[in-house]
Amino acid sequence: MARLDLRPRPALQPEYCKGCLRCVDACPKDCITQAGDLNATTGVRPVVLHLDDCNGCQLCIQACPEPYGLVPQKAPGETASGAKAPTAAHDPGEFELEDPTHLFGAKTSTLPAPVDLPGLALALPTTEPLMLKGTYAAALGALLAGCRHVFGYPITPSTEGAELMAKVLPHLGGSFVQAVSEVAAINMMYGCAGAGLPCMTFTSSPGFSLMLEGISYMIGAELPGVVMNVMRGGPGLGNIAPEQADIKLMTRGLGHGNTHAIVLAPSTPQEMLDLSRLAFELAFAYRNPVIIAADGYLGQMAGVVRLPATLTRPGLPAWAVWGDRAHRMNLVCSIQLSDTDLEAHNHHLNDKYADITKKEQRAETWLCDDAEVLLVACNTPARMAKGAVMDLREAGVAAGLVRPITLWPFPIDEMRAILTKRPRARVVVVEASPGQLEDELRLALSHAGLAPPPIQSVRRMGGVLPQRGEIVAAVLAGQDVAASGGVA
Amino acid sequence: MTTVALGPKDFKSELKPIWCPGCGDFGVLQALYRALSGIGRAPHEIAFVSGIGCSSRIPGYTTAYGFNTVHGRALPIAQGIKLARPELLVLVAGGDGDGFSIGGGHVAHAVRRNFDLTYLVMDNQIYGLTKGQLSPTSPHGLETATSPYGSLEDPVNPLAYVLSYGAGFVAQGTPADMPGLAKIVEEAIRYPGFAFVNIQSPCVTYGQEVQQMKVHKATMKTLASVGHDQTDRIAAMRLAQDYGKALYTGVFYRNPEPPPTFEALVRERQTAQGERPAREKILDRYLQRAT
Ligand SMILES: Cc1ncc(C[n+]2csc(CCOP(=O)(O)OP(=O)(O)O)c2C)c(N)n1
Ligand code: SF4
Ligand code: SF4
Ligand code: SF4
Repeated sequence: MARLDLRPRPALQPEYCKGCLRCVDACPKDCITQAGDLNATTGVRPVVLHLDDCNGCQLCIQACPEPYGLVPQKAPGETASGAKAPTAAHDPGEFELEDPTHLFGAKTSTLPAPVDLPGLALALPTTEPLMLKGTYAAALGALLAGCRHVFGYPITPSTEGAELMAKVLPHLGGSFVQAVSEVAAINMMYGCAGAGLPCMTFTSSPGFSLMLEGISYMIGAELPGVVMNVMRGGPGLGNIAPEQADIKLMTRGLGHGNTHAIVLAPSTPQEMLDLSRLAFELAFAYRNPVIIAADGYLGQMAGVVRLPATLTRPGLPAWAVWGDRAHRMNLVCSIQLSDTDLEAHNHHLNDKYADITKKEQRAETWLCDDAEVLLVACNTPARMAKGAVMDLREAGVAAGLVRPITLWPFPIDEMRAILTKRPRARVVVVEASPGQLEDELRLALSHAGLAPPPIQSVRRMGGVLPQRGEIVAAVLAGQDVAASGGVA
Repeated sequence: MTTVALGPKDFKSELKPIWCPGCGDFGVLQALYRALSGIGRAPHEIAFVSGIGCSSRIPGYTTAYGFNTVHGRALPIAQGIKLARPELLVLVAGGDGDGFSIGGGHVAHAVRRNFDLTYLVMDNQIYGLTKGQLSPTSPHGLETATSPYGSLEDPVNPLAYVLSYGAGFVAQGTPADMPGLAKIVEEAIRYPGFAFVNIQSPCVTYGQEVQQMKVHKATMKTLASVGHDQTDRIAAMRLAQDYGKALYTGVFYRNPEPPPTFEALVRERQTAQGERPAREKILDRYLQRAT
């Protein structure tokens, strides 16, 4: 009797078969058995098809959990070995459809392409300096940068920044939303940033941990946003005293995948304002989140803060999902199902990271020109280190301070210049962490191909800050403080 | 399991609570001491898990094994303990923020899985530990540190939520009626399955006026006094709608035929004899034994 195959019969792609045998059970005609030999590439035994009785029901294809284990034959009679392994470049098959960039086919539009609307700098009247605590200064900096959308979840010692925003934003046409968790807060930022607007959150270490997933997605989708992490003692719940033990997370661990973000480390209330403003500029310039690494002490400490000469009215980037006809074609996503596309996207991100590393290193150096001892410190410990430099100078030791303002990228160019000038200087890293700043320094030296100078450590943890006196004593004695058993 | 005569004092730890004077959580703690002495399980047979918040400090003030864990994650942690040591009496406690904001996603699934857990939420309608921000149970319009012009959100209704998730035991109490609360908590612990008690526990420092002990005393109504039938889930649901308006205390719902708990089902599966051969077959397949 003549037989009509309504559907193509299956073809096996042995290199995709994981030998689960679901197809064996699925086939009503017993066409499929397990082969005797291991497949050399996969190390498992694939099935073999005997298609004499096959009626093309494709139940096996449906049963196969692997997208490409069993595929319909191209033409009747085509053998498994003739079927081509799918790649992104050809035969999209049904799975390719999930890729949102291809979901609706090539997009065409007769509309003019959206353009970048630049922000405007508006003059601010000169005012008397203000006396502000760090979190308030950071909030003010964000407002001056044009941020009108803040999302957050209360956590000590960062909450006052969000509370101030909750008070003022309604008067400025903006809004603060207390999310149900840090996970929700960062994803609200994802949405707001996707619409092209500046947004921010205030959090502290345990909350920052929860935001990492969202930060990775924002980096993948190339969205700007500012995350203020007022670091507290850890790990786990730890305590609410100042620590710097999230440096590793911020410089090396922003969620999964190939991620980096500029990490700014203020050390005064004035810098809380200035760097918060700068953070928005950088976030939009590079289409990437920016992290502000403060510590619990800085968040609470009040100091004199001068306002800048201008404030910013934000523009609208061309890529924004803004909801008018011009922006109709924009798509914000971090999914790239094709491996070659995703590799290209990673190359693009790497180029961006390289660009940032070249252009955005920032550091303050103080009394380094003739220094024989270089203290390296950031955030609040840098204030203690500064005091120690003065004391050491008085004691006849030529000490200087290198204060990284960007922790990523690490200001290695500055460091290189100083070490070239002062090749015999020894370095003392002062930090409220078990060596995470020192790790950044060592990594940067290594990448720069510089032989590490002698490095001494002054480390406190758990919310205890290194004190001026103990830094001086450590330098004079040439002895580490609490470096034993660390990760260095 | 040891059942011995224990008094409330046996469950009181050396630690002195650092709650604000007058905090409702003191009354909850007293009620808990009483309830536990009624149950009669020795302190070392009890694991007491909490999240983070003022209320979550409570395990430390008992002699049970205390776990002051992660903000919002007490329920998953308790489930881990219960699976590892099903013999333990596992209590879970926390605040309204811990349970219904950051941990809100876990509640439905803890209920659905029906571990034998007792979940005590000290609902003060505010964030106490972080000093007075909006809580998921704060009433619409409430002015707090993060809602200075009044909240724009409707509150969660913990009673109605947990009832509709399908919990077998749902009750409410207040430390304004401490003996009543002790009885409710004891009943909750005795219920074999997931039991939830919403405790209206006033925050004297950041809480609202209407949420204080003397108002509770004046307004509370026992469910028995309104003739409520504990086995009627629909009636319970109807009464639960008054959350935030009326303060009902007592058991809203108790499943008269408690289904088997998750840990019992797990145990059953582990010991099922008939399944051995099937297991062997699976092993054969996955280990690709040479034929
Ligand atoms: C991931 C994370 N985010 C935020 C916090 C800060 N935090 C601690 S307790 C708490 C909420 C307290 O409110 P509630 O759960 O209602 O308990 P109460 O203090 O009122 O008893 C918050 C936001 C935290 N510990 N961890
Ligand atoms: S298409 Fe149907 S009959 Fe043919 S091998 Fe697959 S399951 Fe068997
Ligand atoms: S169902 Fe797919 S993966 Fe499993 S044995 Fe068959 S072809 Fe291989
Ligand atoms: S802040 Fe409120 S909840 Fe916390 S201890 Fe004080 S009264 Fe109790």
